[in-house]
This record gives sequence, structure tokens and C-alpha cells, in this order.
Amino acid sequence: MIECRLFLLGDDAVGVQPADRQLRHALALSLRETCEWVDVVPGKEFIAAQFNPFDIRPSEAIRKMEAWLSTFQEKADSSYAPVELHLDVSNDWAPDLRALAVENNLSEEEFLEKVVQSELVIDMLGFMPGFAYVEGIDGALTGERLAVPRQRVVAGSVGFVSGQLGLYGLSGPGGWPIIGRLRETLFDPAREDPFLLREGQLIRLKLVGV
Amino acid sequence: MSFTVLQAGIQSTLQEAPRRGVRYMGVPASGPADTLSMALANRLVGNAASECALEIPYGMISLKAMTDHIVGIAGAIAAIDVDGQPGLMHRTLKIKAGQTLNIGAPEYGLRVYVAVSGGFAADTFLGNRSTCLPAGFGGLKGRALRKGDVLNTQNGGGGGSAILETPMKMRQVLSHSFALRCVPGPDEGRIPDWEHKQDFKATRRADRIGIEIAGSWPMLKGAGLKASAPVFPGAIQLTPSGTAFVLLPDAQTTGGYPHVLQVALADRHLLGQIRPGDNIRFLKRSAEDVAHDLRLKQTFFKDWLPDLSL
Repeated sequence: MIECRLFLLGDDAVGVQPADRQLRHALALSLRETCEWVDVVPGKEFIAAQFNPFDIRPSEAIRKMEAWLSTFQEKADSSYAPVELHLDVSNDWAPDLRALAVENNLSEEEFLEKVVQSELVIDMLGFMPGFAYVEGIDGALTGERLAVPRQRVVAGSVGFVSGQLGLYGLSGPGGWPIIGRLRETLFDPAREDPFLLREGQLIRLKLVGV
Repeated sequence: MSFTVLQAGIQSTLQEAPRRGVRYMGVPASGPADTLSMALANRLVGNAASECALEIPYGMISLKAMTDHIVGIAGAIAAIDVDGQPGLMHRTLKIKAGQTLNIGAPEYGLRVYVAVSGGFAADTFLGNRSTCLPAGFGGLKGRALRKGDVLNTQNGGGGGSAILETPMKMRQVLSHSFALRCVPGPDEGRIPDWEHKQDFKATRRADRIGIEIAGSWPMLKGAGLKASAPVFPGAIQLTPSGTAFVLLPDAQTTGGYPHVLQVALADRHLLGQIRPGDNIRFLKRSAEDVAHDLRLKQTFFKDWLPDLSL
């Protein structure tokens, strides 16, 4: 049985935190396939499986999860094909690039090169439709959230904080420094598949407008 | 079969059951902020509890019926009239073609629900009609109503000619004070030894994403943010600046602020009726206790609302 910490997340969800966080998506996918949980949502460290406490008491929900985990077997890798995205840094689409480059004692070009040469992977989706958390960024690069979040970040904007990129699927408020904008549309409710990206997917960033 | 919107109100939206099963893709739940009131409104016109209805925060809406309609109104307590003739909430209301339904500003509670026999037609996203305002889908073009909009209704509305009234004991009693049963959140340890106090107030920062709650919150122990974690409506997140937000149906699916408390499902429908300035009290309970409370509440409504799911 895989090593997991189980806990209640309020009164209607079970938190499942695997010792190996790489197992989050395999666990979540298998849990969704059981159709026995309302929503199964991965976070950075743990998954939340929501239940209806009218149907099952919280203590029973924990026991049910324990029992299920004892039978869990990781399936063959069902990862998605890598995708190439175009990062445009022209116009005024990279308002925080200069400051980040200076902070890291690099030129803007050097900073961007280090970003695009990293082994980038969609760690998870979440927050709002189309938003993707990307990991794998060169650990030497550092950056902090803006002291005051922007009222409006345009859809497609790419945010950077140490160790992560955040790809904004929708226009809205945002607190990450912005280093460019993707030419691709990450989320379009009218498209047959509204979501361009999937959890676990590898991405390649290609610079344009340098 | 339609209404024309003569006066749109503030952020009036079409809502049905929450969007389930796609939260892992970052899709908020949406759905009514006050599930119970929407179910009561639908009941008056013979609809299922979560049939698509109109959610109207702050009231102040006027709808002109283009055909004869049967409507039901529940939720925040507001004055109602049809072409100037006073009408009643919690009672099946017949509106003739050409007549205008006017709903005033509620004094107690925030959101009024208008259900129509057969339900409202609306855009679907992933098979669900609920409006998601932050992402702009569902409902009427993914947005709040505007003056001049046309609201179409679905055919096949039952309801017939029966005039129904919500049983007295099932009508929500609303005031400017709310007592909410809560259970610990996963980050309760960041506010150790904290006794729940009573002097909390909803601020003006309130919408379908969440309500800011000001009051005597303790200082957070340890660093401010955490790794982004799943959150659901009802989560209370405490920020390093000492203010808290309780999440509502359009809230984001993951968050980095410490999740210190969770409003119990049994009382989550009340969040939809909290007005800026209203007083809030938190009642600390265990998860097992509130699961029992939820059963009691749904059992209480069972005869009148057999398909209610809070």
C-alpha cells in the first residue's frame, strides 16, 4: 500500500497526501474513475476528494478512502503528448521581465533563455479555468509575488515566481510578475475541447518577439 | 415564452445545480449561493429543486412577461408587485402577458430567487447552465443580466393551476446576524488556542466568489502563504494582513492562504444571504456533529422538498 496521510478537509472532503507527490494525478484519476466522490481535486501537496455528508459520515469517508487506497495500483503511464507554446515578449507584454532579469544579475535574453531551456511540466491545473501551474524552472532563478497584485492580467500572460510559472487562462486579477504572453488560447469555452493543457503534460516554450 | 428585463438589478444571474466533476480543471462550482431559497422558489412552480432560476442580489429588478407565466419567489425578504398590485413571496404567482413583475430592495437577507414554471433556458457549459461570472460561461452569455435582455423559459413547465404556499415553518427567518456552524480547516493549527469570538462583520468586499469577514482574527502562526491547495465553497481563508475571506460558489478551486475554518454544509446556504455589515458568529463543531445536523435539516425539509440537496 502506498504511504499516504489522510485527514478531513472540513466536513465534506477527505485530504489524501501521498508521501510521493508525483502520485497525486494517478491517485486522482483513479479516484474519479470510481465515480464515488463528488469532485477530486489535486493541489500541490494533497488531493481533496469531496463527498456528501448526507450520504456518508465523515469518519466513514476516511475509512472508505483507506480501504480504497489498500487496493490502489498505479496504472501504466497515461500522460499527454508534449505541447509547444509560443512565448511572446514583444510590445508591453512582459512588464516585469526587466526587473526580474536585474534581480537575477542577468540580461533579459539570458533570463528568458534559462526559462525556456528548463524541463517544463504542467504540475497541475486549478485556480480558474485554463490556469496552469508549471514546474521545472531552473532553480537558480528567483522572483517574488508583486507587493500589490494587478487588477487585471490579460489571458495568456505568463507569471514567474521562484520555481514556478503560472499560465493565466483568463483575464483577471493576478499577483505574479509577468514575463510574456502566450500566443495560444489556453481556455475557450466555445472550443470543442475548451482546455488546451492537461496535468502532467510536458511543455516547450518557444520565444517570439525577442 | 420569455421575459424582457426592464431593470436588471446588480449582478443578477441564472443558476442551476453546481457544476460537478470538473473542479480539477479549475472550473468553479457556481450554482445558487443560497441553495435552500432557490429550491423553495422552484417548489412553488412544480420544478425540481435545482432547476435553473434567477438569483438576484439586492433585488431591484423588473421583468416584463411576454407570455403568461407562473413564478415562485423566495429568499431575501423584499416587496413584490405585479403592475403595482402587491404580491407575495412564498406563494405561486401568475403573471399575464404584458404584466411586469417588480421586486424591491430586500431589508433582510441579500439574494432573492425567482423560479419560473419549466425553468429558464440558458447557455450550457460542460452540460450545466449555471452562470460562472469570473470565467464568463453558462447562464446568459456568461454574464449578469442587463436592461433589455430577453430571458427565455423552457417548455414543459408543470405547476398547472395549483397555487402553492411555502409552509410557514420552512420559510427562512433572516436578520442582520448570522450564526454559522463551522468545523476546523486543514490549517487550523496556524491559529492555535483560538476561541471563536462573536464580533465579526461582513465587509463591502462581497460577491459570488467570496465575502471578506473583518473582526478579531488571531495573527497567523508561521509564514503567510502555503503551497496551493484545493479549496471549496465554505472555506474560510485567513490572510497575513489579518482579514479573512469565506468562499462562495464562484470561488477559485485552489488557494494559497491558510484554510483555518470551514462553514459546515448544513449552514452554507446561509452565506448567500449575508449582506455587507451583517454580524457573523462562528459556532465550533466537529465534522461528525455537523453531518448529523445536515441530516436533521434535510429531514426537516423532506416532505416539502424531497429532492433538496444542500
